[in-house]
Amino acid sequence: MKRLSALCAASHCAWVGPSFAQEVEAADPAGTPIEIHGFVSQGFIKSTNNEYLAESKRGSFEFSEVGFNVTQALGHDLRVGFQVFAHDLGPFGNYKPEFDWYYLDYRFFDWLGIRIGRTKMPFGLYNELNDIDVARVPILLPQSIYQVDHREYIFAQTGGELYGDVPLGDVGSLEYRAHGGTLFADTPTPPAPGITVENVSVPYIFGGRLTWSAPLDGLHVGASYQAVRLDGDYGFSPELLAVFQPLGLLPADLAGPLSVKWRVKRWVASLQYSAHDLDLSAEYSRWIGGFESRAPLLLPTHVVNERYYVMASYRVAPWFTPGVYYSAFYPNVEDRHGREAYQHDVAATLRYDLTANWLFKLEGHFMRGTAALDNEALNDGVEQKLLAPTWGVFLIKTTAYF
Amino acid sequence: MPGPTRGIATRRRSAALLFVLLLSGLLSVVVAGVGQALAGEATGFRIIAHPESSAGSLSRQFVADAFLKKAVRWPNGDTIRAVDLRLDAPARQQFSEDVLRRSVSAVRSYWQQRIFSGRGVPPPELDSDAAVIRHVQSRRGALGYVSERAETGGVQIVTLH
Repeated sequence: MKRLSALCAASHCAWVGPSFAQEVEAADPAGTPIEIHGFVSQGFIKSTNNEYLAESKRGSFEFSEVGFNVTQALGHDLRVGFQVFAHDLGPFGNYKPEFDWYYLDYRFFDWLGIRIGRTKMPFGLYNELNDIDVARVPILLPQSIYQVDHREYIFAQTGGELYGDVPLGDVGSLEYRAHGGTLFADTPTPPAPGITVENVSVPYIFGGRLTWSAPLDGLHVGASYQAVRLDGDYGFSPELLAVFQPLGLLPADLAGPLSVKWRVKRWVASLQYSAHDLDLSAEYSRWIGGFESRAPLLLPTHVVNERYYVMASYRVAPWFTPGVYYSAFYPNVEDRHGREAYQHDVAATLRYDLTANWLFKLEGHFMRGTAALDNEALNDGVEQKLLAPTWGVFLIKTTAYF
Repeated sequence: MPGPTRGIATRRRSAALLFVLLLSGLLSVVVAGVGQALAGEATGFRIIAHPESSAGSLSRQFVADAFLKKAVRWPNGDTIRAVDLRLDAPARQQFSEDVLRRSVSAVRSYWQQRIFSGRGVPPPELDSDAAVIRHVQSRRGALGYVSERAETGGVQIVTLH
Protein backbone atom coordinates (compact mmCIF):
# COMPACT_ATOMS: atom_id res chain seq x y z
CA MET A 1 0.00 0.00 0.00
CA LYS A 2 1.28 3.40 -0.88
CA ARG A 3 -0.10 6.44 0.82
CA LEU A 4 0.91 9.58 -0.94
CA SER A 5 -0.28 12.22 1.49
CA ALA A 6 3.24 13.44 2.04
CA LEU A 7 3.84 13.64 -1.69
CA CYS A 8 0.54 15.49 -2.19
CA ALA A 9 1.40 17.89 0.59
CA ALA A 10 4.78 18.49 -1.01
CA SER A 11 3.25 19.12 -4.42
CA HIS A 12 0.75 21.56 -2.92
CA CYS A 13 3.66 23.19 -1.20
CA ALA A 14 5.54 23.67 -4.46
CA TRP A 15 2.43 24.91 -6.20
CA VAL A 16 0.86 27.38 -3.79
CA GLY A 17 3.54 27.92 -1.22
CA PRO A 18 4.19 26.63 2.28
CA SER A 19 1.30 28.35 4.04
CA PHE A 20 -1.41 26.41 2.19
CA ALA A 21 0.43 23.12 2.74
CA GLN A 22 0.55 23.87 6.44
CA GLU A 23 -3.18 24.58 6.47
CA VAL A 24 -3.82 21.21 4.86
CA GLU A 25 -1.56 19.56 7.41
CA ALA A 26 -3.18 21.31 10.33
CA ALA A 27 -6.66 20.42 9.19
CA ASP A 28 -5.95 16.77 8.56
CA PRO A 29 -2.44 15.49 9.23
CA ALA A 30 -3.20 12.01 7.90
CA GLY A 31 -4.84 13.68 4.91
CA THR A 32 -7.19 12.02 2.49
CA PRO A 33 -4.35 10.36 0.63
CA ILE A 34 -4.35 9.16 -2.91
CA GLU A 35 -4.22 5.39 -2.69
CA ILE A 36 -2.19 3.65 -5.36
CA HIS A 37 -2.12 -0.14 -5.54
CA GLY A 38 -0.97 -2.59 -8.14
CA PHE A 39 -0.06 -6.16 -8.92
CA VAL A 40 1.96 -8.22 -11.34
CA SER A 41 1.23 -11.93 -11.80
CA GLN A 42 2.96 -14.59 -13.84
CA GLY A 43 1.67 -18.10 -14.08
CA PHE A 44 2.50 -21.38 -15.75
CA ILE A 45 -0.16 -23.85 -16.86
CA LYS A 46 0.42 -27.48 -17.77
CA SER A 47 -2.27 -29.95 -18.69
CA THR A 48 -2.47 -33.55 -19.70
CA ASN A 49 -4.54 -34.92 -22.61
CA ASN A 50 -6.47 -31.71 -23.51
CA GLU A 51 -5.51 -28.07 -24.08
CA TYR A 52 -7.03 -25.86 -21.39
CA LEU A 53 -7.11 -22.04 -21.46
CA ALA A 54 -3.81 -21.98 -23.39
CA GLU A 55 -1.67 -24.38 -25.38
CA SER A 56 -1.11 -26.09 -22.10
CA LYS A 57 -0.26 -29.67 -22.99
CA ARG A 58 3.32 -28.64 -23.65
CA GLY A 59 3.21 -26.13 -20.78
CA SER A 60 2.50 -22.44 -21.27
CA PHE A 61 3.59 -19.18 -19.67
CA GLU A 62 0.76 -17.36 -21.47
CA PHE A 63 -0.81 -16.69 -18.11
CA SER A 64 0.03 -13.14 -17.01
CA GLU A 65 -1.79 -10.26 -15.35
CA VAL A 66 -0.79 -6.73 -14.49
CA GLY A 67 -2.88 -3.95 -13.02
CA PHE A 68 -2.70 -0.78 -11.02
CA ASN A 69 -5.35 1.40 -9.48
CA VAL A 70 -5.67 4.89 -8.09
CA THR A 71 -8.35 5.96 -5.63
CA GLN A 72 -8.91 9.40 -4.16
CA ALA A 73 -11.45 10.51 -1.58
CA LEU A 74 -12.86 13.93 -2.44
CA GLY A 75 -14.32 14.96 0.86
CA HIS A 76 -16.00 12.57 3.29
CA ASP A 77 -18.54 10.90 1.01
CA LEU A 78 -17.26 11.18 -2.55
CA ARG A 79 -14.61 8.89 -3.99
CA VAL A 80 -13.19 8.44 -7.48
CA GLY A 81 -10.93 5.72 -8.78
CA PHE A 82 -9.80 3.62 -11.71
CA GLN A 83 -7.87 0.44 -12.42
CA VAL A 84 -5.93 -0.30 -15.59
CA PHE A 85 -5.55 -3.98 -16.32
CA ALA A 86 -3.83 -6.07 -18.98
CA HIS A 87 -3.57 -9.82 -19.20
CA ASP A 88 -2.66 -12.73 -21.39
CA LEU A 89 -4.28 -16.13 -21.09
CA GLY A 90 -3.68 -18.30 -24.13
CA PRO A 91 -5.78 -16.80 -26.93
CA PHE A 92 -7.37 -14.22 -24.61
CA GLY A 93 -6.21 -10.78 -23.56
CA ASN A 94 -2.93 -10.53 -25.44
CA TYR A 95 -1.70 -7.80 -23.06
CA LYS A 96 -4.25 -5.27 -24.37
CA PRO A 97 -4.59 -2.68 -21.57
CA GLU A 98 -8.09 -1.67 -20.57
CA PHE A 99 -9.94 0.06 -17.79
CA ASP A 100 -10.93 -2.79 -15.51
CA TRP A 101 -13.06 -0.38 -13.50
CA TYR A 102 -13.47 3.33 -12.97
CA TYR A 103 -16.09 5.05 -10.93
CA LEU A 104 -17.45 8.02 -9.11
CA ASP A 105 -18.84 6.83 -5.78
CA TYR A 106 -21.06 8.85 -3.46
CA ARG A 107 -22.31 7.39 -0.18
CA PHE A 108 -25.41 9.21 1.10
CA PHE A 109 -26.05 6.95 4.07
CA ASP A 110 -24.90 3.55 5.32
CA TRP A 111 -27.90 2.11 3.49
CA LEU A 112 -27.54 4.06 0.23
CA GLY A 113 -24.60 4.73 -2.03
CA ILE A 114 -24.26 5.17 -5.79
CA ARG A 115 -21.44 4.26 -8.14
CA ILE A 116 -21.36 5.48 -11.72
CA GLY A 117 -18.85 4.34 -14.31
CA ARG A 118 -17.45 0.95 -15.18
CA THR A 119 -17.96 -1.29 -12.19
CA LYS A 120 -17.37 -4.95 -11.38
CA MET A 121 -20.70 -6.78 -11.41
CA PRO A 122 -21.82 -8.44 -8.19
CA PHE A 123 -22.72 -12.04 -8.97
CA GLY A 124 -22.22 -14.72 -6.39
CA LEU A 125 -19.42 -14.52 -3.87
CA TYR A 126 -16.41 -14.08 -6.13
CA ASN A 127 -17.29 -12.58 -9.52
CA GLU A 128 -15.51 -9.34 -8.71
CA LEU A 129 -12.33 -11.19 -7.74
CA ASN A 130 -11.95 -13.36 -10.78
CA ASP A 131 -8.90 -11.59 -12.19
CA ILE A 132 -7.41 -10.57 -8.86
CA ASP A 133 -5.07 -13.36 -7.81
CA VAL A 134 -4.09 -11.72 -4.52
CA ALA A 135 -7.71 -11.60 -3.31
CA ARG A 136 -8.43 -15.33 -3.29
CA VAL A 137 -6.88 -18.68 -2.48
CA PRO A 138 -7.31 -20.70 -5.72
CA ILE A 139 -5.42 -19.78 -8.88
CA LEU A 140 -8.56 -20.61 -10.84
CA LEU A 141 -11.85 -19.99 -9.08
CA PRO A 142 -14.44 -22.74 -9.68
CA GLN A 143 -14.80 -22.45 -13.42
CA SER A 144 -18.34 -23.74 -13.43
CA ILE A 145 -19.53 -20.28 -12.32
CA TYR A 146 -16.50 -17.99 -12.66
CA GLN A 147 -15.30 -18.72 -16.19
CA VAL A 148 -12.08 -16.81 -16.65
CA ASP A 149 -12.35 -17.04 -20.44
CA HIS A 150 -15.71 -15.17 -20.31
CA ARG A 151 -14.36 -12.15 -18.47
CA GLU A 152 -15.52 -9.64 -21.08
CA TYR A 153 -19.14 -10.65 -20.59
CA ILE A 154 -19.46 -11.45 -16.93
CA PHE A 155 -16.98 -9.31 -14.99
CA ALA A 156 -17.82 -5.62 -15.46
CA GLN A 157 -20.48 -3.33 -16.88
CA THR A 158 -20.60 0.33 -17.83
CA GLY A 159 -23.49 2.09 -16.15
CA GLY A 160 -24.53 2.60 -12.55
CA GLU A 161 -25.00 0.79 -9.29
CA LEU A 162 -26.89 1.40 -6.05
CA TYR A 163 -25.57 -0.26 -2.91
CA GLY A 164 -25.91 -0.18 0.84
CA ASP A 165 -25.75 -1.98 4.16
CA VAL A 166 -28.87 -2.27 6.30
CA PRO A 167 -28.47 -3.37 9.95
CA LEU A 168 -31.26 -5.67 11.13
CA GLY A 169 -30.52 -5.66 14.85
CA ASP A 170 -30.57 -9.08 16.42
CA VAL A 171 -31.11 -10.87 13.12
CA GLY A 172 -27.93 -9.65 11.44
CA SER A 173 -27.63 -7.29 8.49
CA LEU A 174 -28.35 -7.04 4.78
CA GLU A 175 -26.07 -5.88 2.01
CA TYR A 176 -27.67 -5.08 -1.32
CA ARG A 177 -26.32 -4.09 -4.71
CA ALA A 178 -28.35 -3.33 -7.82
CA HIS A 179 -26.75 -2.50 -11.16
CA GLY A 180 -27.72 -1.67 -14.72
CA GLY A 181 -25.95 -0.60 -17.89
CA THR A 182 -24.31 -2.14 -20.90
CA LEU A 183 -21.22 -4.06 -21.98
CA PHE A 184 -18.57 -3.00 -24.45
CA ALA A 185 -16.99 -6.23 -25.55
CA ASP A 186 -15.13 -7.60 -28.51
CA THR A 187 -17.01 -9.75 -30.99
CA PRO A 188 -17.55 -13.19 -29.44
CA THR A 189 -15.90 -16.28 -30.81
CA PRO A 190 -18.08 -17.70 -33.62
CA PRO A 191 -19.91 -20.84 -32.56
CA ALA A 192 -18.56 -22.93 -35.45
CA PRO A 193 -16.28 -22.70 -38.51
CA GLY A 194 -17.99 -20.95 -41.44
CA ILE A 195 -20.03 -18.68 -39.18
CA THR A 196 -19.19 -15.05 -38.49
CA VAL A 197 -20.67 -12.79 -35.84
CA GLU A 198 -20.79 -9.04 -36.48
CA ASN A 199 -22.44 -5.83 -35.25
CA VAL A 200 -22.63 -7.09 -31.70
CA SER A 201 -24.29 -4.77 -29.22
CA VAL A 202 -25.66 -5.13 -25.71
CA PRO A 203 -28.90 -3.14 -25.29
CA TYR A 204 -28.99 -3.86 -21.57
CA ILE A 205 -27.56 -5.73 -18.65
CA PHE A 206 -29.00 -5.47 -15.17
CA GLY A 207 -29.02 -7.43 -11.97
CA GLY A 208 -28.32 -7.41 -8.30
CA ARG A 209 -27.19 -9.26 -5.23
CA LEU A 210 -28.69 -9.50 -1.76
CA THR A 211 -26.55 -10.86 1.06
CA TRP A 212 -27.77 -11.59 4.55
CA SER A 213 -25.11 -11.69 7.24
CA ALA A 214 -26.62 -13.92 9.93
CA PRO A 215 -26.24 -13.33 13.68
CA LEU A 216 -23.78 -16.22 13.68
CA ASP A 217 -20.49 -14.44 12.96
CA GLY A 218 -19.16 -15.18 9.50
CA LEU A 219 -22.29 -16.83 8.10
CA HIS A 220 -23.54 -15.21 4.89
CA VAL A 221 -26.44 -16.24 2.68
CA GLY A 222 -26.84 -14.59 -0.70
CA ALA A 223 -28.78 -14.57 -3.93
CA SER A 224 -27.79 -12.91 -7.20
CA TYR A 225 -29.64 -12.36 -10.46
CA GLN A 226 -28.58 -10.96 -13.79
CA ALA A 227 -30.19 -10.48 -17.21
CA VAL A 228 -28.46 -9.48 -20.42
CA ARG A 229 -29.36 -9.24 -24.12
CA LEU A 230 -26.79 -9.43 -26.88
CA ASP A 231 -27.78 -8.54 -30.44
CA GLY A 232 -25.75 -9.49 -33.48
CA ASP A 233 -25.70 -10.50 -37.11
CA TYR A 234 -24.70 -14.07 -37.92
CA GLY A 235 -23.13 -14.62 -41.32
CA PHE A 236 -22.96 -18.06 -42.94
CA SER A 237 -20.52 -19.22 -45.59
CA PRO A 238 -22.02 -20.31 -48.96
CA GLU A 239 -21.06 -23.89 -48.10
CA LEU A 240 -23.02 -23.80 -44.86
CA LEU A 241 -25.99 -22.09 -46.54
CA ALA A 242 -26.01 -24.87 -49.14
CA VAL A 243 -26.22 -27.47 -46.37
CA PHE A 244 -28.49 -25.72 -43.85
CA GLN A 245 -31.16 -24.24 -46.14
CA PRO A 246 -32.29 -27.54 -47.73
CA LEU A 247 -32.52 -29.03 -44.22
CA GLY A 248 -34.73 -26.17 -43.06
CA LEU A 249 -32.18 -25.04 -40.48
CA LEU A 250 -31.98 -21.61 -42.08
CA PRO A 251 -34.79 -19.70 -43.87
CA ALA A 252 -34.88 -20.50 -47.57
CA ASP A 253 -34.93 -16.78 -48.47
CA LEU A 254 -31.94 -15.86 -46.31
CA ALA A 255 -29.43 -14.07 -48.51
CA GLY A 256 -27.57 -11.82 -46.05
CA PRO A 257 -26.77 -11.99 -42.36
CA LEU A 258 -29.22 -13.49 -39.89
CA SER A 259 -30.32 -11.04 -37.20
CA VAL A 260 -30.12 -12.69 -33.77
CA LYS A 261 -31.08 -11.61 -30.26
CA TRP A 262 -29.53 -13.67 -27.46
CA ARG A 263 -31.09 -13.35 -24.03
CA VAL A 264 -29.45 -14.79 -20.92
CA LYS A 265 -30.81 -14.78 -17.39
CA ARG A 266 -28.73 -16.25 -14.64
CA TRP A 267 -28.99 -16.62 -10.90
CA VAL A 268 -26.88 -18.03 -8.14
CA ALA A 269 -27.61 -18.95 -4.54
CA SER A 270 -24.63 -18.54 -2.22
CA LEU A 271 -23.70 -19.81 1.22
CA GLN A 272 -20.50 -18.80 2.97
CA TYR A 273 -19.03 -19.27 6.42
CA SER A 274 -15.98 -17.09 6.87
CA ALA A 275 -14.69 -16.64 10.39
CA HIS A 276 -11.22 -16.27 11.85
CA ASP A 277 -9.06 -18.24 9.36
CA LEU A 278 -11.64 -20.65 7.99
CA ASP A 279 -13.52 -20.04 4.77
CA LEU A 280 -16.25 -22.41 3.53
CA SER A 281 -18.43 -21.60 0.55
CA ALA A 282 -20.94 -23.30 -1.70
CA GLU A 283 -22.93 -21.94 -4.62
CA TYR A 284 -25.57 -23.28 -6.96
CA SER A 285 -26.41 -21.53 -10.21
CA ARG A 286 -28.54 -21.85 -13.32
CA TRP A 287 -28.09 -19.85 -16.50
CA ILE A 288 -31.05 -19.75 -18.88
CA GLY A 289 -30.29 -18.70 -22.44
CA GLY A 290 -32.22 -18.51 -25.66
CA PHE A 291 -31.83 -17.18 -29.18
CA GLU A 292 -34.54 -15.19 -30.90
CA SER A 293 -34.07 -15.55 -34.66
CA ARG A 294 -35.58 -16.91 -37.85
CA ALA A 295 -33.61 -20.11 -37.39
CA PRO A 296 -34.99 -21.72 -34.21
CA LEU A 297 -33.90 -25.21 -35.25
CA LEU A 298 -30.29 -24.09 -35.56
CA LEU A 299 -30.12 -21.61 -32.70
CA PRO A 300 -31.95 -23.01 -29.65
CA THR A 301 -34.68 -20.89 -28.13
CA HIS A 302 -34.28 -22.25 -24.62
CA VAL A 303 -31.28 -23.88 -22.95
CA VAL A 304 -30.73 -24.21 -19.22
CA ASN A 305 -27.37 -25.07 -17.77
CA GLU A 306 -26.42 -25.97 -14.23
CA ARG A 307 -23.34 -24.98 -12.26
CA TYR A 308 -22.30 -25.54 -8.67
CA TYR A 309 -19.33 -25.96 -6.37
CA VAL A 310 -18.22 -26.40 -2.77
CA MET A 311 -14.95 -24.87 -1.59
CA ALA A 312 -12.93 -24.75 1.63
CA SER A 313 -9.74 -23.05 2.69
CA TYR A 314 -8.00 -22.62 6.02
CA ARG A 315 -5.22 -20.19 6.85
CA VAL A 316 -2.91 -22.49 8.80
CA ALA A 317 -0.42 -19.66 9.31
CA PRO A 318 -0.28 -16.09 8.01
CA TRP A 319 2.03 -17.34 5.27
CA PHE A 320 0.26 -20.58 4.33
CA THR A 321 -3.31 -21.29 3.19
CA PRO A 322 -4.33 -24.56 1.59
CA GLY A 323 -7.67 -24.86 -0.17
CA VAL A 324 -9.78 -27.43 -2.03
CA TYR A 325 -12.93 -27.37 -4.13
CA TYR A 326 -15.20 -29.50 -6.23
CA SER A 327 -16.97 -27.85 -9.14
CA ALA A 328 -19.50 -29.18 -11.65
CA PHE A 329 -20.94 -27.82 -14.89
CA TYR A 330 -23.70 -29.21 -17.11
CA PRO A 331 -24.29 -27.09 -20.24
CA ASN A 332 -27.75 -28.57 -20.80
CA VAL A 333 -29.72 -29.89 -17.84
CA GLU A 334 -31.83 -32.00 -20.15
CA ASP A 335 -28.86 -33.84 -21.61
CA ARG A 336 -26.28 -35.10 -19.14
CA HIS A 337 -24.97 -38.01 -21.18
CA GLY A 338 -21.62 -38.13 -22.89
CA ARG A 339 -18.29 -36.56 -21.92
CA GLU A 340 -19.25 -33.29 -23.66
CA ALA A 341 -22.32 -32.92 -21.41
CA TYR A 342 -20.48 -32.33 -18.13
CA GLN A 343 -17.32 -31.12 -16.49
CA HIS A 344 -16.30 -32.20 -13.00
CA ASP A 345 -13.30 -30.50 -11.45
CA VAL A 346 -11.59 -31.49 -8.20
CA ALA A 347 -8.91 -28.94 -7.29
CA ALA A 348 -6.36 -28.43 -4.53
CA THR A 349 -4.35 -25.24 -3.95
CA LEU A 350 -1.43 -24.27 -1.75
CA ARG A 351 -1.06 -20.50 -1.25
CA TYR A 352 2.18 -19.19 0.25
CA ASP A 353 2.37 -15.55 1.30
CA LEU A 354 6.12 -15.24 1.11
CA THR A 355 6.20 -11.62 2.25
CA ALA A 356 3.61 -8.92 2.88
CA ASN A 357 3.71 -8.13 -0.85
CA TRP A 358 4.53 -11.37 -2.61
CA LEU A 359 2.71 -14.68 -2.88
CA PHE A 360 3.22 -17.99 -4.61
CA LYS A 361 0.63 -20.66 -5.41
CA LEU A 362 0.61 -24.27 -6.54
CA GLU A 363 -2.59 -25.89 -7.81
CA GLY A 364 -3.68 -29.22 -9.25
CA HIS A 365 -6.98 -30.18 -10.94
CA PHE A 366 -8.38 -33.58 -11.72
CA MET A 367 -10.97 -33.13 -14.48
CA ARG A 368 -13.66 -35.36 -15.93
CA GLY A 369 -15.69 -34.30 -18.95
CA THR A 370 -15.04 -31.90 -21.80
CA ALA A 371 -18.05 -29.57 -21.58
CA ALA A 372 -16.25 -26.25 -21.23
CA LEU A 373 -13.22 -27.02 -23.35
CA ASP A 374 -12.50 -24.58 -26.17
CA ASN A 375 -12.35 -26.48 -29.45
CA GLU A 376 -12.11 -23.45 -31.70
CA ALA A 377 -9.01 -21.54 -30.60
CA LEU A 378 -7.57 -24.62 -28.90
CA ASN A 379 -7.67 -28.40 -29.29
CA ASP A 380 -7.32 -28.25 -33.10
CA GLY A 381 -11.06 -28.01 -33.70
CA VAL A 382 -11.63 -31.55 -32.39
CA GLU A 383 -15.23 -32.03 -31.27
CA GLN A 384 -15.76 -32.08 -27.52
CA LYS A 385 -17.18 -35.58 -27.68
CA LEU A 386 -13.87 -36.80 -29.12
CA LEU A 387 -11.55 -35.06 -26.63
CA ALA A 388 -10.06 -37.05 -23.74
CA PRO A 389 -12.72 -37.50 -21.04
CA THR A 390 -10.25 -37.56 -18.13
CA TRP A 391 -7.47 -35.03 -17.85
CA GLY A 392 -5.40 -33.00 -15.44
CA VAL A 393 -4.24 -29.40 -15.02
CA PHE A 394 -1.33 -28.11 -12.93
CA LEU A 395 -0.71 -24.45 -12.32
CA ILE A 396 1.98 -22.35 -10.69
CA LYS A 397 1.49 -18.65 -10.16
CA THR A 398 3.32 -15.89 -8.38
CA THR A 399 2.00 -12.40 -7.70
CA ALA A 400 3.68 -9.31 -6.33
CA TYR A 401 1.41 -6.51 -5.17
CA PHE A 402 1.31 -3.30 -3.20
CA MET B 1 6.80 -42.03 -29.21
CA PRO B 2 4.27 -44.90 -29.50
CA GLY B 3 0.79 -44.24 -28.04
CA PRO B 4 0.88 -46.58 -25.01
CA THR B 5 4.39 -45.46 -24.04
CA ARG B 6 3.37 -41.82 -24.30
CA GLY B 7 0.31 -42.54 -22.14
CA ILE B 8 2.50 -44.09 -19.44
CA ALA B 9 4.88 -41.11 -19.57
CA THR B 10 1.94 -38.69 -19.25
CA ARG B 11 0.59 -40.56 -16.23
CA ARG B 12 4.04 -40.57 -14.61
CA ARG B 13 4.39 -36.81 -15.13
CA SER B 14 0.92 -36.25 -13.67
CA ALA B 15 1.71 -38.46 -10.69
CA ALA B 16 5.00 -36.63 -10.11
CA LEU B 17 3.28 -33.22 -10.17
CA LEU B 18 0.58 -34.48 -7.83
CA PHE B 19 3.24 -35.87 -5.48
CA VAL B 20 5.06 -32.51 -5.41
CA LEU B 21 1.77 -30.75 -4.58
CA LEU B 22 0.92 -33.14 -1.75
CA LEU B 23 4.43 -33.14 -0.30
CA SER B 24 4.56 -29.33 -0.35
CA GLY B 25 1.25 -29.20 1.47
CA LEU B 26 2.27 -31.68 4.15
CA LEU B 27 5.61 -29.99 4.82
CA SER B 28 3.90 -26.60 5.02
CA VAL B 29 1.33 -27.83 7.53
CA VAL B 30 4.10 -29.21 9.78
CA VAL B 31 6.18 -26.03 9.61
CA ALA B 32 3.12 -23.81 10.16
CA GLY B 33 2.04 -25.87 13.17
CA VAL B 34 5.45 -25.50 14.80
CA GLY B 35 5.40 -21.75 14.09
CA GLN B 36 1.97 -21.31 15.66
CA ALA B 37 3.02 -23.24 18.74
CA LEU B 38 6.02 -20.94 19.22
CA ALA B 39 4.06 -17.72 18.65
CA GLY B 40 3.59 -15.40 21.64
CA GLU B 41 0.24 -14.26 23.02
CA ALA B 42 -1.25 -10.96 21.95
CA THR B 43 -1.93 -8.18 24.46
CA GLY B 44 -5.23 -6.41 25.21
CA PHE B 45 -6.58 -3.21 23.70
CA ARG B 46 -8.80 -0.26 24.48
CA ILE B 47 -11.17 1.35 22.00
CA ILE B 48 -11.05 5.15 21.87
CA ALA B 49 -13.08 7.88 20.20
CA HIS B 50 -12.85 11.63 19.69
CA PRO B 51 -13.28 13.47 23.02
CA GLU B 52 -16.52 15.14 21.88
CA SER B 53 -18.00 11.82 20.88
CA SER B 54 -21.05 10.64 22.76
CA ALA B 55 -20.05 7.03 22.07
CA GLY B 56 -19.27 5.86 25.58
CA SER B 57 -20.63 2.41 24.83
CA LEU B 58 -20.97 0.77 21.42
CA SER B 59 -22.00 -2.66 20.20
CA ARG B 60 -19.22 -4.93 18.98
CA GLN B 61 -21.02 -5.23 15.67
CA PHE B 62 -21.12 -1.47 15.15
CA VAL B 63 -17.38 -1.16 15.81
CA ALA B 64 -16.68 -4.09 13.47
CA ASP B 65 -18.85 -2.52 10.75
CA ALA B 66 -17.07 0.82 11.22
CA PHE B 67 -13.62 -0.73 10.77
CA LEU B 68 -14.80 -2.75 7.74
CA LYS B 69 -16.50 0.42 6.40
CA LYS B 70 -19.91 -1.20 6.27
CA ALA B 71 -21.05 1.58 8.60
CA VAL B 72 -19.77 5.00 7.60
CA ARG B 73 -21.75 7.32 9.90
CA TRP B 74 -22.26 7.78 13.62
CA PRO B 75 -25.87 7.85 14.79
CA ASN B 76 -25.69 11.68 14.82
CA GLY B 77 -24.75 11.72 11.12
CA ASP B 78 -21.04 12.48 11.51
CA THR B 79 -18.67 10.53 9.31
CA ILE B 80 -16.87 7.69 11.09
CA ARG B 81 -13.10 8.01 10.68
CA ALA B 82 -11.65 4.70 11.80
CA VAL B 83 -7.91 4.32 12.22
CA ASP B 84 -5.92 1.09 12.59
CA LEU B 85 -2.65 0.21 14.21
CA ARG B 86 0.06 -1.30 12.02
CA LEU B 87 -0.36 -4.92 10.93
CA ASP B 88 2.08 -6.46 13.40
CA ALA B 89 0.91 -4.56 16.50
CA PRO B 90 -0.17 -7.06 19.20
CA ALA B 91 -3.18 -4.88 20.07
CA ARG B 92 -4.30 -5.06 16.45
CA GLN B 93 -4.16 -8.84 16.50
CA GLN B 94 -6.30 -8.96 19.63
CA PHE B 95 -8.73 -6.31 18.35
CA SER B 96 -9.06 -8.19 15.08
CA GLU B 97 -9.87 -11.50 16.77
CA ASP B 98 -12.16 -10.09 19.46
CA VAL B 99 -14.05 -7.38 17.57
CA LEU B 100 -13.80 -8.22 13.86
CA ARG B 101 -13.83 -11.98 14.62
CA ARG B 102 -11.22 -12.53 11.93
CA SER B 103 -7.44 -12.82 11.98
CA VAL B 104 -5.36 -9.85 10.82
CA SER B 105 -4.50 -11.87 7.70
CA ALA B 106 -8.20 -12.44 6.97
CA VAL B 107 -8.93 -8.73 7.38
CA ARG B 108 -6.04 -7.91 5.08
CA SER B 109 -7.51 -10.32 2.54
CA TYR B 110 -10.91 -8.58 2.92
CA TRP B 111 -9.33 -5.24 2.06
CA GLN B 112 -7.35 -6.67 -0.85
CA GLN B 113 -10.64 -7.89 -2.29
CA ARG B 114 -12.15 -4.43 -1.97
CA ILE B 115 -9.08 -2.49 -3.12
CA PHE B 116 -8.63 -4.42 -6.34
CA SER B 117 -12.33 -4.68 -7.18
CA GLY B 118 -12.85 -0.95 -6.71
CA ARG B 119 -15.04 -1.11 -3.64
CA GLY B 120 -13.06 0.80 -1.08
CA VAL B 121 -9.81 1.31 0.73
CA PRO B 122 -8.93 0.40 4.33
CA PRO B 123 -8.67 2.80 7.26
CA PRO B 124 -5.27 4.46 7.60
CA GLU B 125 -2.68 2.50 9.59
CA LEU B 126 -0.57 4.32 12.13
CA ASP B 127 2.64 3.08 13.72
CA SER B 128 2.08 3.62 17.42
CA ASP B 129 -0.46 4.09 20.18
CA ALA B 130 0.63 7.70 20.49
CA ALA B 131 0.00 8.34 16.78
CA VAL B 132 -3.47 6.79 17.02
CA ILE B 133 -4.33 8.88 20.08
CA ARG B 134 -3.16 12.08 18.37
CA HIS B 135 -5.20 11.14 15.30
CA VAL B 136 -8.34 10.43 17.32
CA GLN B 137 -7.94 13.56 19.46
CA SER B 138 -7.72 15.82 16.45
CA ARG B 139 -10.56 14.51 14.27
CA ARG B 140 -14.25 14.75 14.85
CA GLY B 141 -15.81 11.32 14.30
CA ALA B 142 -12.53 9.46 14.80
CA LEU B 143 -12.56 5.92 16.20
CA GLY B 144 -9.47 3.87 17.02
CA TYR B 145 -7.94 1.44 19.47
CA VAL B 146 -4.65 1.26 21.34
CA SER B 147 -2.90 -1.22 23.60
CA GLU B 148 -4.33 -1.41 27.09
CA ARG B 149 -1.11 0.01 28.53
CA ALA B 150 -1.35 3.23 26.50
CA GLU B 151 -1.95 6.58 28.22
CA THR B 152 -5.37 7.57 26.95
CA GLY B 153 -5.83 11.07 28.34
CA GLY B 154 -7.66 13.44 26.02
CA VAL B 155 -9.76 10.82 24.23
CA GLN B 156 -13.00 9.07 25.04
CA ILE B 157 -12.75 5.44 26.18
CA VAL B 158 -15.39 3.28 24.53
CA THR B 159 -16.76 0.15 26.13
CA LEU B 160 -18.35 -2.67 24.14
CA HIS B 161 -21.75 -4.09 24.93
